[in-house]
This record gives sequence, structure tokens and C-alpha cells, in this order.
Amino acid sequence: MKSIIALEDVSKRFGPFTALESISLDVAEGEFVSIVGTSGCGKSTLLRLVAGLMPTSGGSIRIADREVTGPTDDVGIAFQTPVLLPWRNVRQNIELPLEVRKLDVGRHQAELTRMIDLVGLRGFEDRHPYQLSGGMQQRVALCRALIHDPSLVLMDEPFGALDAMTREQMNLEIQRIWMETKKTIVLITHSIIEAVFLADRIVVMQSRPGRIASVIDVKLPRPRSFTDIATPEFQDACNQVRLLMNATGFTE
Amino acid sequence: MKSAYYPLGTFVVFVLGWYAISILFEVPAYLLPRPEAVIERLGQDFGYLMRHAWVTTYETLGGFLLSVLIGVPLAFIIVSSSIVEKAIMPWLVLSQTFPKVALAPLIVVWFGLGIVPKILVTFLVAFFPVVISTVVGLRSMENEMLELARSMKASRFQIFWRFRLPLALPSLFSGLKVSVAFSVVGAVIAEWVGATEGLGYLLLTANANLDTALLFAVLAILTVLGIVLYYAVEMFEQRLIPWHASVRLKEVPAL
Repeated sequence: MKSIIALEDVSKRFGPFTALESISLDVAEGEFVSIVGTSGCGKSTLLRLVAGLMPTSGGSIRIADREVTGPTDDVGIAFQTPVLLPWRNVRQNIELPLEVRKLDVGRHQAELTRMIDLVGLRGFEDRHPYQLSGGMQQRVALCRALIHDPSLVLMDEPFGALDAMTREQMNLEIQRIWMETKKTIVLITHSIIEAVFLADRIVVMQSRPGRIASVIDVKLPRPRSFTDIATPEFQDACNQVRLLMNATGFTE
Repeated sequence: MKSAYYPLGTFVVFVLGWYAISILFEVPAYLLPRPEAVIERLGQDFGYLMRHAWVTTYETLGGFLLSVLIGVPLAFIIVSSSIVEKAIMPWLVLSQTFPKVALAPLIVVWFGLGIVPKILVTFLVAFFPVVISTVVGLRSMENEMLELARSMKASRFQIFWRFRLPLALPSLFSGLKVSVAFSVVGAVIAEWVGATEGLGYLLLTANANLDTALLFAVLAILTVLGIVLYYAVEMFEQRLIPWHASVRLKEVPAL
């Protein structure tokens, strides 16, 4: 498989503080990778480096064989908070990246409608963010990250603030979108279950300085469902991650 | 329109209290005229009062618009360059501790008795809230919002017009509301220093003649002027930022 992201000995320092140290990782095209780790292990920083939102202090990051020096066109990002523009309705919020990138909004209408259907927002196109629940807002943010059809999607704990029920629903939707579109997805999360449920591979990080402790393959069949959680295979994978996190100083 | 009943109720209570005090304590009319005397005066001299009210309105609006036209772009410059900010901001803050009213006589010496010095004094009194609230508004963009904009490869220009400026509007409007109220004060002060017409001028003459009925009539008109201008700004606000919580959730008690 061709790798779409290639990190080589990447480090990031903020003054005297080392946030990330010697990070090397390849993500294959179409792969779903979850990154887990305790708060402050630098996983969000890592995502921002890959997104080109901040410069590295050392090493190299390549996306589709091109060195990352700033934000890349072929990348969509979903943040921890939905960061929707409150004066725009759902449709206009999703269209925002097209307008900013000066793409033809009219030509994307069919795609937009399809996405709105895909995440279950039909009938809410004309609502404003304050009229939506947290889960719906995050869905809008997801559509916004996908509307220009990027081949790589970066997600920074987009479901961290959602209740458990909504979160499971969103995980199912992400899985469906991923299986339908064959995009490469990197998801940051602090939920072990979420990581195992969605990922082909899980990157476990340790903190101070932020480093990759281990990478685990998840070989559960797709599509996965939440009724699979009780199966021994799923539990095994979860325990593996949990043991690793405990070994790196994470206490439950 | 039902919401208008409440302030009107307060007003009726206020007038009744006023009436009761003037009768119960037999306050002489030159100290506290009775409400009906003031109303009578308002009716009698209506044309005369309106002519002066128009002058003051003109000065108030002139000073307010100048505050917006200079204050908002000034805020743009301040947030766009840290050098300009460092050079200007301390002086702006200092200018607020400085009694601007004390400058009014000087401005009259420089610009005479016409409309220009009135507008300038009003501007001096009213522009600061516009600058500060716009600066605060333009700075209140969350880091993730900025990252979102940058991830879309938004230019500096796009970040400003599509993100920062709309996000600054709620704060900007709260500054405009303070500013428009200050503008009325500014115009009256400007007229006190040297004028031949306007409500501030009328206040001085009424005072000199112990004509308290006229004084109260002028105060009533000034109040109406202030309220009308304030709500005009608020109407603009509701048109422009219906999405903001301060507009949407007005009916919800805050404490």
C-alpha cells in the first residue's frame, strides 16, 4: 500500500518544553488510524503538525510525497469543538470551505445534499448552529471537513464533548462514511473503545516527552457494530491498548 | 409591543411620585414644577423646543457618526499592527482619564461657535467606547476558529472579512450603544461652552431665568432623544446579528 502520510523523526518544542520527540509513522492510503494517549501527550500537536498549522522543530512530514510547509488542499479537519459560524445556517456552514477556496459552490450542490443525507441532517439545512444539538453541530463540522472531497481527513477528538449515545451513533456514521468513501482518516481520541471500534491501527502515545509507545493492529472484521464490543476479540484489543497505556504511566 | 407596557408602567409610577411630592411637600414651582406645568410648557413651546432639539440631534448624530467612522477603522489598524497598538493605545487610554470637557473651551476658540466644535466635542466624548469594543471584538476569535480558517487556506483578508469582523459585531454593537448615549451628553456639554441654539443652550438660559418648567421640558426631550437613538442602534443590531445570544435570549433572566 502506498503511504499518504510519512512522518520521519518528527519533533516539536515549545521553548524549553519538548512536546514531541522522534515520531516516525507511515499511514497508508485508505487506512483508518486512531491515536490514543493521555491528556498532554502531544497528540493534538501532532495532528496540527500534519495539518500544516504549525511548523515542526525537526524531522520531516510528507503528505502524498510532498513536504508539509503549510495547510494542504487535499486535507479536511474536524476539531474538538464544531467551530461553526453562528451567522450561517447549516448549508452555508458546509459551503464555507468552498467559498474560501474559491471553488464553484453550485457544482458541489449534489455532493452537499448527499452529505447532508449521509449524516442525517436532512430537514435541518436552514437551521442555525444555536438551533442544533451538540451532536448535530459536530455532524455539520464533519460535512464541512469532507465537502471539498479531501483524500485525507484529520479529526481531533471531535466527539469528546458528546454524550455516550450520540458518540456511538457518530462512530457508526464515521465508519460508514469511511467505508463508502475510502478516505484516509486519522482520529485522535482518548476513548479506547472508540479507537478500537474504528481503527485499522492504533497508535498509543506516551507523554513527557510525547512519543509513540506502540502501534497495534486491529484485525476485527468490518463493518463493526457496538454489539461486537462484548466479543473476546474486541476485549482483547481494548486490553492490549489499556495495558500499554498503563505501562506508560496512565493510571485508571 | 406588549413589552412597552413595563417601562410605561415605571414611567407612570415615577410621574405619580413626582406629583405626590410636589403637592404633599408644597414644593415651590421654581424648585420643582408640577408635571402638568411641564406638559403644558412642552405643548406651548413645541415648535420652539423642536427647533432647538433638531440642532442638538444634528450635533449628536454628527459626533456619533464621526466616532464610528474614525473609531472602527482605528480599531482595525490597532489590531493589525502591534507597533501601532503600542504607540497609540496608552495615549488613547490616557485621553480617557483626561477630562475631555476641559478641551471644549479650547475647541471653541479654534473653531468658533458653529456646528463643527459641537461635533468635535461630541466625538471626543463618544469615540473611545467604539474603539475599545471593536478592538475587543476583533480579538475574540477562538484559536480553533483561526485554525479552521487557516486549514482552508484563507488569506489574511478573508480571515478578517469572513471570520473576525462578523465575530466582532456583538462587541462592536455594545460599544455603539454606549457611544450613542455618550453622544447626547457630548452635544449638551459642547453647547454649554458656547452656543446660540440647541437644547444645552436652552438649559443654560432656563437655568439663568429660574425657568424650571422649561428646564424640565428640555430634560424630557433630551431623555426621549437618548432613548430613540439608543433603540435605533439596537434595531440595527437585531437586523445585523439576530444569531447572537444577547439578541436571541433577551427574554431570559440573566441572574
